[in-house]
Amino acid sequence: MDEIKEVSLEMREYIISSGADTLNWCMQCGLCTNLCPYRQVPGELSEVFNIRKMQRQGQLGLEGFDDEEVLFACVTCGMCQSNCPRSVEIIKNVRSMRNTIVGAGILPGHLRPVAGSLHANGNPWTGPQEKRADWLEGLNVPAYTEDMEYLLYVCCTSCYDTRSQKIAKSVVKLLQQAGVSFGVLTAEENCCGETIRKIGDEDLFTKLAESNIKLFNGKGVKKIITTSPHCLYAFKTDYPELGGEYEVMHYSELLGNLLKDGKLSLPGEQAKKVTFHDPCYLGRHNLVYDAPRELLQAVPGAEFVELDRAKNKSLCCSGGGGRIWAEVPFGERFGELRINDAVKQNADIIVTACPYCITMLDDACAGLEKGDVLKVMEMSEFLCESLEK
Amino acid sequence: MDKKTGVYICTGCSIGESLEIESLSKVATKEGKVPVCKTHPFLCGPEGVALIKNDIETEGVNTLLIAACSPRVNYDVFEFDSSCIMERVNIREQVIWSQPANDEDTQMMAEDYLRMGLAKVKHIDLPEPYQGENMVKTLLVVGGGLTGMTAALEAAKAGYKAVLVEKSPVLGGWMNGLFKQAPRKAPFTTPEAVDIAELVSQVEANPDVTVYTGAEILEIAGAPGMFDASINQNGTTVKERVGSVVLATGAVPYDPAKLDYLGYGKYENVITSQKMEELASKGKILRPDGKEVQSIAFIQCAGSRDQEHLPYCSATCCVESLKQATYLKEQNPEANVFIFYKDMRASGQYERLYQQVQKDGGIFVRGEINGITEDGEKNLLIEATDVLSGATITTEGVDMVVLANGMVPTTALGEDIAAKADTEEDCKEDDGPKPEIIRKSNLLNLAYRQGPEMPTLKYGYADSHFICFPYETRRTGIYAAGSVRAPMDELSSVEDAAGAALKAIQCMESSAQGVAVHPRVGDMSFPDFAMSRCTQCKRCTVECPFGAINEDDKFNPLPNPTRCRRCGICMGACPERIITFKNYSVPMIGNLIKSIEVPDEDEEKPRILVFACENDAYPALDMAGINRLKYNAWVRVIPLRCLGSLSLVWIADSMSAGIDGIFLLGCKHGDDYQCHFIKGSELAEIRLSKVSETLDRLDLDSDRVRMDQVSITDYDKIPALLDDFAKRLDELGPNPYKGF
Repeated sequence: MDEIKEVSLEMREYIISSGADTLNWCMQCGLCTNLCPYRQVPGELSEVFNIRKMQRQGQLGLEGFDDEEVLFACVTCGMCQSNCPRSVEIIKNVRSMRNTIVGAGILPGHLRPVAGSLHANGNPWTGPQEKRADWLEGLNVPAYTEDMEYLLYVCCTSCYDTRSQKIAKSVVKLLQQAGVSFGVLTAEENCCGETIRKIGDEDLFTKLAESNIKLFNGKGVKKIITTSPHCLYAFKTDYPELGGEYEVMHYSELLGNLLKDGKLSLPGEQAKKVTFHDPCYLGRHNLVYDAPRELLQAVPGAEFVELDRAKNKSLCCSGGGGRIWAEVPFGERFGELRINDAVKQNADIIVTACPYCITMLDDACAGLEKGDVLKVMEMSEFLCESLEK
Repeated sequence: MDKKTGVYICTGCSIGESLEIESLSKVATKEGKVPVCKTHPFLCGPEGVALIKNDIETEGVNTLLIAACSPRVNYDVFEFDSSCIMERVNIREQVIWSQPANDEDTQMMAEDYLRMGLAKVKHIDLPEPYQGENMVKTLLVVGGGLTGMTAALEAAKAGYKAVLVEKSPVLGGWMNGLFKQAPRKAPFTTPEAVDIAELVSQVEANPDVTVYTGAEILEIAGAPGMFDASINQNGTTVKERVGSVVLATGAVPYDPAKLDYLGYGKYENVITSQKMEELASKGKILRPDGKEVQSIAFIQCAGSRDQEHLPYCSATCCVESLKQATYLKEQNPEANVFIFYKDMRASGQYERLYQQVQKDGGIFVRGEINGITEDGEKNLLIEATDVLSGATITTEGVDMVVLANGMVPTTALGEDIAAKADTEEDCKEDDGPKPEIIRKSNLLNLAYRQGPEMPTLKYGYADSHFICFPYETRRTGIYAAGSVRAPMDELSSVEDAAGAALKAIQCMESSAQGVAVHPRVGDMSFPDFAMSRCTQCKRCTVECPFGAINEDDKFNPLPNPTRCRRCGICMGACPERIITFKNYSVPMIGNLIKSIEVPDEDEEKPRILVFACENDAYPALDMAGINRLKYNAWVRVIPLRCLGSLSLVWIADSMSAGIDGIFLLGCKHGDDYQCHFIKGSELAEIRLSKVSETLDRLDLDSDRVRMDQVSITDYDKIPALLDDFAKRLDELGPNPYKGF
């Protein structure tokens, strides 16, 4: 309390003009801070990251919110926002506060290669642009043309990461089995930009989004299937601001409908105890809760069990908001809690439906050495196992 | 009145199975020699009631003693001809429900209660209503602001005439000084135009409301139903006879000169909220130096909730500052508004205004103001702690600081005068309760012996018992409403005005009927003074909590029956025992005590007399019974109107009757008193402290008399309280006067 901080109305205005329209609505009740997943873990970051206080510092334009560690800690899971009694768009405020720094060209060390790669390669994984479509190898997927119903948009992570490529392949197999009319434009696509926007680089996001919109519009795309809930969010929520209006679905929503219509059959028995980890961007951000559960329960022999924290109370894997690139000491990672949640339910498999979640959960499962009792699977992979009897 | 007594014993509710009804009846017939004694298995049923009615009509029974349930229940069922005396003997709640069935001691208890009932009715005379002279039903409203005008109109709407006295030349009061008023209509997000003019024209157009503006009350003499008010209007004195009074003189802003620590008086751009209203009314908000105001910092609780200034919350300032924030925002949406607060108290629909100001960019800072300084351009810098960021912050220079300087009731203004008698030597010998402070606020100028205004209570407000009885003051027939009663906003003031007007109407109607208005509603009895025996000791005039008794030049008490609340505190106070009610008197209770059969010492059946306050302790004893809590069998309960009506002679009566111990159960007193008559139980305690010396002198341990405070919710503690006392009495051994 010794040092006197000056209220900066200029900074406050700058934050608000960067998109924090609801910053003033906050009445500082602190529900956000209490619901924040950081309260579930120990560690230095948990001690310093206080989302309520960060909003407060923003409201007064006080120094402190711009502390790199604090500013880039938020995982954008939406737990606070979906419970805020004043409907404050907290994540948008975080994004705007980050933008005040990132816009000035300052980015934390671990995020610099991400931004660099997005600029140079159109993906955050430093993968060469020409290798983006490598995941298609061995698959018979046509390029998208206007006579097809859907464009399948594959997340950068599943384009480049060898583990994640399996997700893209499984999704293709399932869509083909169900007779869906779709094609891809992978080679020409750029990253959806969801995460870089959350990181606060509004300009880079706009660049990526505009190039995708140009591509999609040029090819006459109307409906998009995404493999990642993050891409789903970008197309559904961010792109319309830039004029990109599409009918967007996560693959689980489409498969759920196909299952109900009898077009997707999953005859293969899997006598396993299965649980589901709701990805934040599929659940809280896009309110898709039922489709994944219906699909899992359609698998013969599979016993479905809920985690204690499920649906809108799901605990984040900590992969959102750019945190997938953050170095977090073992013992402080949300993913570990998630693995323990699943182990507590005696599940054989924890299924999820997001490439980020897969990365984080795989990592946590290995770190906790629970690989012998629990398997982490992406939903499309699990469903593929049942495609044949 | 020739009494023909009928005793009716109910055997329902398992009374019949728990007591020997035949021997109980013999108490009435053999001991009491009553001509009629009947039992019925369901006395409160139609047949039981018809039985009694028949006896009244055909047998000429005119004095009824009903031995059944508590007098607190079925009082509507057992309501008979008003020419009959009716008493209840509580053998259900306080005998069979709190004692073991078919037990010798239980039977003795029931029989004693019947004896006590018989002794009581023997001493009761039928009360006759007090009839004052030239009683009127006109309401006097003092104060012509929102509350006062509303009260006058509400009275007129209910068919009564009202006289409205306003000090200033125009009606409207506080509201006249406002630019806009806080929202009262959906969506509650923006201030509204002040609509007081509409109310003023309604008042002025109402033929039943006589308005005196530019007028003050010179004097109010008399009593409810017949107050004589002298009104000075611009030098001319007018007399009005009125039935009751609504005090609606409102509040004034807290003196900003005392807020120099917030820069008031030091910096010209530190202003009060009243000044802000004035500036906004003129159009563009400008500083004295002509600068257009682009930023304002509102300082909430400027004086309020501060032990050094006003210890209470002024209730309206948060909303008023929110409202004033919109004045600036409306002129310039880009303007900066800071609100420094302790807690934002914008309850109810005002929350929407609060949210709107937040959404419009109001900057709210919760914390303490460390200091306000001025820069070279007369802009103000505020240093404060911001609890929410945990930092000490300073603002950029703001153009103006508005102090939300709270409110002070008009009753709090003026010089203190201690109530007359309390300073006089003759009353100093005892350490009575704290004398009432009366402040010369020049509002009512009552011609009361006790002083010209209401007793000044906590924070200068004039309540009586605000939790249970809002609007009541300590002067019967005078009701406080609006911000003179408690800090409140406009909507609450309107509600208050209607409530107080209705209380005032009840008072006028009750006074006209010659019955008590509050809290013994409808009680027809009133104290009678046997003046030939009065020694002018002034105890009655001093101790009456309601200023009901004036005195003449020779210090003779002059009772005002319509000011009286019938608590009997004067009766308990009078050392000469000259004050009696037709149905409540010192000898009556004395005979009740004597009627208790006290067993000989060797029977080892001590007797404990409980004097229980009718309002809390007696219901608590009932509650104990209702919950079937068993308590000591030696207990005999005598309900008192108020423990303050306790006459010390009853202690002597009890002791000489061989009663082993006396327990006084009264209400909680002190700052948060629960006594219906304000200081009755406190007075009883003071009287009791005096009796202990006498007891010691008589070789009776003063522990034989005990006092405790119970509220109705303390019923579960009753058995332990009584047992503990019985244990102490056991240690002391039997009353040595037993059997004398």
